[in-house]
Amino acid sequence: MVDRERRALWLRRRRGALGILGAAYFVGVWLDGAGSGIPARVLPRTANYFVQVAALFPRAATASIDYRAEGFVCSDRTWTELDTRPYFPIDPDDKENRFNRVMHFFRDNRPTMTALDSYLVGRHDLAANDDGIPRDRPIGGVRLSSLRIPIPSPGDRLERTSRRPLSDYPAAERQVFYHTPKSRLSARCGARIENVD
Amino acid sequence: MLRRLLAWIDEPVPVLRLAIVRIFAPLAILGFMRGRLIHADEWIGDAGFRVPDLGGDWRQPLYVPALPSWAAWGVAAAMVVSGIACCLGVRTRASALVFATTIAFVALSDRLAAYTVTKLSPAVMIAVALSPAGARLGIDAYKRPRKHGKRPKRLRPSGAARFLQVLPVVMYSASGIAKARGDWLKEPLVLWSHLHDSYQTPIAFALASILPGWTWTAFQGMVLAFELLAPLWFGLARTRTWALVFGLAMHTMIGLMFGPVLWFALLMMTLLVGGYLPERLLAPLEALAERLERPPPLRESTADAAAPPDH
Repeated sequence: MVDRERRALWLRRRRGALGILGAAYFVGVWLDGAGSGIPARVLPRTANYFVQVAALFPRAATASIDYRAEGFVCSDRTWTELDTRPYFPIDPDDKENRFNRVMHFFRDNRPTMTALDSYLVGRHDLAANDDGIPRDRPIGGVRLSSLRIPIPSPGDRLERTSRRPLSDYPAAERQVFYHTPKSRLSARCGARIENVD
Repeated sequence: MLRRLLAWIDEPVPVLRLAIVRIFAPLAILGFMRGRLIHADEWIGDAGFRVPDLGGDWRQPLYVPALPSWAAWGVAAAMVVSGIACCLGVRTRASALVFATTIAFVALSDRLAAYTVTKLSPAVMIAVALSPAGARLGIDAYKRPRKHGKRPKRLRPSGAARFLQVLPVVMYSASGIAKARGDWLKEPLVLWSHLHDSYQTPIAFALASILPGWTWTAFQGMVLAFELLAPLWFGLARTRTWALVFGLAMHTMIGLMFGPVLWFALLMMTLLVGGYLPERLLAPLEALAERLERPPPLRESTADAAAPPDH
């Protein structure tokens, strides 16, 4: 009898605790989606991250955005487009690709961009993949840009979205966010690099 | 008010509603994860790019170092096995908990490949683990009557079932407010503006080419009204079924028009169907479950002990 009462009490308490947790989760999801800063202030960062699920597409897109990389080919001393997809193989053809995501979130974060620079140079120089730059030509650094492609108006003649070479886009639609410092280009290429954009 | 809420939570619900979520949510989640799973060493292991430890940067909720490749493949295998086990109703509580844990881990380990599905799914799967979702339409549910001679209950009170029912409504409501605070009341072509990036499917392109601009504004208004007033639509018995139909249609269109968002759409559709499918439409599933869970014919000596089905 005592055991049964104890068990019933434990079940009631568990139910109450789970009810409070569930309600707190709903409040967190709702407040975060509704634009309140309360969840971010009161919750640990990890918990706050899991309630950030509801604010989906709240703003109009002002442009169709893509991110691209170029490698500095040491032998030619030129920037040539580097296809990052072999080095970021998950979802290679859409904006859920991890290269796009690292640029989306961290393009203004120097330590991350430096790590990305080292990663891309290291991967190309392993010469294990075709990335648009001949395998036998080492690169000394990278230049990372965003593309901001204008959105057509309704009634315009539309073109199916596709990946075109970086050189197809006018300069006005490109913005460089990061490039390897000249000192590092020189060190990696083993020669003094001057007059590089 | 509180008493009415508690009475509503305690009201028995068809266990099949939970079984629907148990079966289809893991499939939608694994569908979303499939591209990541086949590159597990690049995703959460040391073979791919890792954002360095940024020491408390807001974009990095927790720094998780890269796993050695063998461990990354181990996490991927655990996710697949537990997800499939949960879907099939094999040790549902344990498999759902392991599945939830692996999803939460990858969500934290790689911020870059984490989306709404990754962040929402742990809550869904924990609710499944805490519910009697494995009691019907699964392998364990099939075996139990053969072992104990007892049919599972059709109806059970479950706070987790109520959680899963309220979850999409909370999400819609918050999402509607986010949209209203954003551009959806100011810009007539918000939906149109999202049709032109790499999410674009052939269907999105065809519709964007055919439909006049005002139709996108009309869709935008309908979606906003649906989401903002979701508590009303789903709360009132009179509008509930229509809200379900609209929600399913909306997610179908999202899934067809925005490539990878398909899996999120399927997860939300699962929650909607599990939570709000009218009971009469559960009948074919009930018949199937009854057939699967029928105890084997008993020998005469034990026939008296056979229990009738619980209700």
